[in-house]
Amino acid sequence: MIARVAGAAGMGESRVPVEDRLFSLVLALLATETGLLKSEILSSVRGYAERYDASGGNANLERQFERDKDDIRELGIPLETVESPDRPGDNQALRYRIPKGQYDLPDEVRFTPDELTLLGLAAEVWREASLSADSQRALTKLRSFGIEPREPVIGYAPRLRVRDAAFEPLRHALDRRHAVRFRYLKPGEAEPRLRTVNPLAVVLHEGRWHLHAYDRDAAGPRTFLLSRIVGEVESVPGMRFDAPPPGIQDRILAELDDLRLRHAADLAVTAGTDAEVRLGKRAVLRDEDAGVIRLHYTDAAVFADELAAYGPEVRVINPASLREAVRGRLAAVAATHRDEGAA
Amino acid sequence: MATRRARPLKAPDKLVFLLSFVPYLLEQRVVAVPEAAAHFGMTDDEIRDAVRLIATSGLPGSTGTYQPNDLFDIDWDAFEDDDVIVIVHHVAIDDAPRLSAREAAALIAGLQYLSASPENQGSASLASLMAKLTAGASAAPSRLAVAETEADASLALIRGAVSVGRQIEFDYLNARGEGSRRRADPLRIISQDADWYLQAYCHTREDVRNFRVDRMSDLVLTDEPVGDHSQHAVPDTLFQRSDSDLDVVVDVSPSTLSLLADYLADSRAREVGGRLRVTLRLAHVHGLKRLVAGLPGLVTVVSPPEARAAVAEWAEAGLAGYREVEASEIPRTTGSDDI
Repeated sequence: MIARVAGAAGMGESRVPVEDRLFSLVLALLATETGLLKSEILSSVRGYAERYDASGGNANLERQFERDKDDIRELGIPLETVESPDRPGDNQALRYRIPKGQYDLPDEVRFTPDELTLLGLAAEVWREASLSADSQRALTKLRSFGIEPREPVIGYAPRLRVRDAAFEPLRHALDRRHAVRFRYLKPGEAEPRLRTVNPLAVVLHEGRWHLHAYDRDAAGPRTFLLSRIVGEVESVPGMRFDAPPPGIQDRILAELDDLRLRHAADLAVTAGTDAEVRLGKRAVLRDEDAGVIRLHYTDAAVFADELAAYGPEVRVINPASLREAVRGRLAAVAATHRDEGAA
Repeated sequence: MATRRARPLKAPDKLVFLLSFVPYLLEQRVVAVPEAAAHFGMTDDEIRDAVRLIATSGLPGSTGTYQPNDLFDIDWDAFEDDDVIVIVHHVAIDDAPRLSAREAAALIAGLQYLSASPENQGSASLASLMAKLTAGASAAPSRLAVAETEADASLALIRGAVSVGRQIEFDYLNARGEGSRRRADPLRIISQDADWYLQAYCHTREDVRNFRVDRMSDLVLTDEPVGDHSQHAVPDTLFQRSDSDLDVVVDVSPSTLSLLADYLADSRAREVGGRLRVTLRLAHVHGLKRLVAGLPGLVTVVSPPEARAAVAEWAEAGLAGYREVEASEIPRTTGSDDI
């Protein structure tokens, strides 16, 4: 009984909440011009100082400090390391600081109530935990101006889901500029092939997430569909690369659009069906009498999947490759669902 | 005013809040606890805890000990007696922190998605907003982008009907392939990924229904105002359960499971020959046959037999269309495709 009370008291003593320690660390590093030595931080900043052992043996505390630094940088706070001019390369002589000029949100970045309303809606878009958390943190930062958004947009709920497991590790690698490795199954190939790439941009086009990357083995740029990545995306931290040019993501979207416009399919759709109504809305040309529409598409395999779902409601007239792709899919579905003796 | 969050905050989120709360308090000079709570979407107690934490925080100073002048200070009387926050001394921070590259990228991509909605199409304000977010980030925002999609032409009309509160009429073809003219009170538009839905009170069915916008045609805006539907709950999900739902057992490749998340009857999954055996719940077999045929080779219906047969018939009927044509005409061949 006594031991338990003592134990609990001991824990309470050293327990400064994590956010308290991080807050104290940020304040200390913002206030210093020249930077603080690690030993100064650990011995004086709240949250570390209580556990600091002046006679050495602060390995746990040092590891804690490393993790805290990473967490702080993840939030966009520019935590810098400055080498000692007298002792370059000496880790114990490194100084840490947060330059205030690079910390403060620039003066020109101010938002109107209307803009804050739109940003609030933009944050609502994400259903995926990490994108949603990132958006919410950004909104919290912008709330510091004390400006209330205009009335929320009513009658509209936007939702964008990310269902590809590869998305999060790729976004991570994109930020850190680490190469990644994954197995990729290209349509028409029997087995997935291992690729090692520098991820440059991740874009959503026609409802599909694409990765644009520099393929290290092929020594050239390639675009991958996230849904065709098989298994884990493995980060290769040793392989770093330079920041891709700004706006690369928009260039990739434009390329995918070009690709879409180069592919056209003529489809026969049955009147009064789902295919006629839904595919018809995307038609660029139509022959009402013949019941034929022309549509653009980006990826033949993806489009063939979509068309197969319509079963007998749509028939591909051309191109032949798409027609065969849809037939092959229907044949596979029929074969796996036909019972013995039935057909 | 911020809406209340659904998830508990993690330590980095709490840090961001503290770093944003201080400049807010400095800017406001005098602010009541409930007002601050409403602004940040927190409870009054969370705000009070944060104020106490800030008021005892500061710098270790040159001596390595926290001296009064190195600490934040507040008007304690105003705080304890009147629930009002006034910072009387501050250290180290007075401005909001910059956005991280990831934070800016998440909002920019969200805005790009919104640009598909009718009221934002080609909007110059969105472009300037994205430029501001980029300027406010501590590093170039991650290269994440969402393509502008072509919004259905009906959307602008529906959006207008929602905002002015007027009834609409349209032809609707449901998933069973049955068409009918509907009159409805539009309540809310939901866009999910590339698809648009209207939640509306349907006068024909006398209940709130979800309509796929791409299945609506011949849409007309009437002069009739919408009724009061405050007694009807507008569901937050697009897929509503009903007693007549059909349970179907399927085998699915593990990587495809996330695509079926909306249809899973429960969280049970059992491995069968390298695939997962799960139970899906759908409104009817018409939805099932489209779903399975659209994921060819990835989903196989195990039971019930009628569901298997419906999928087989659907695919067979599709194949038959090609065989009939083959017998009667010589196909043209053009085009190449690969990505």
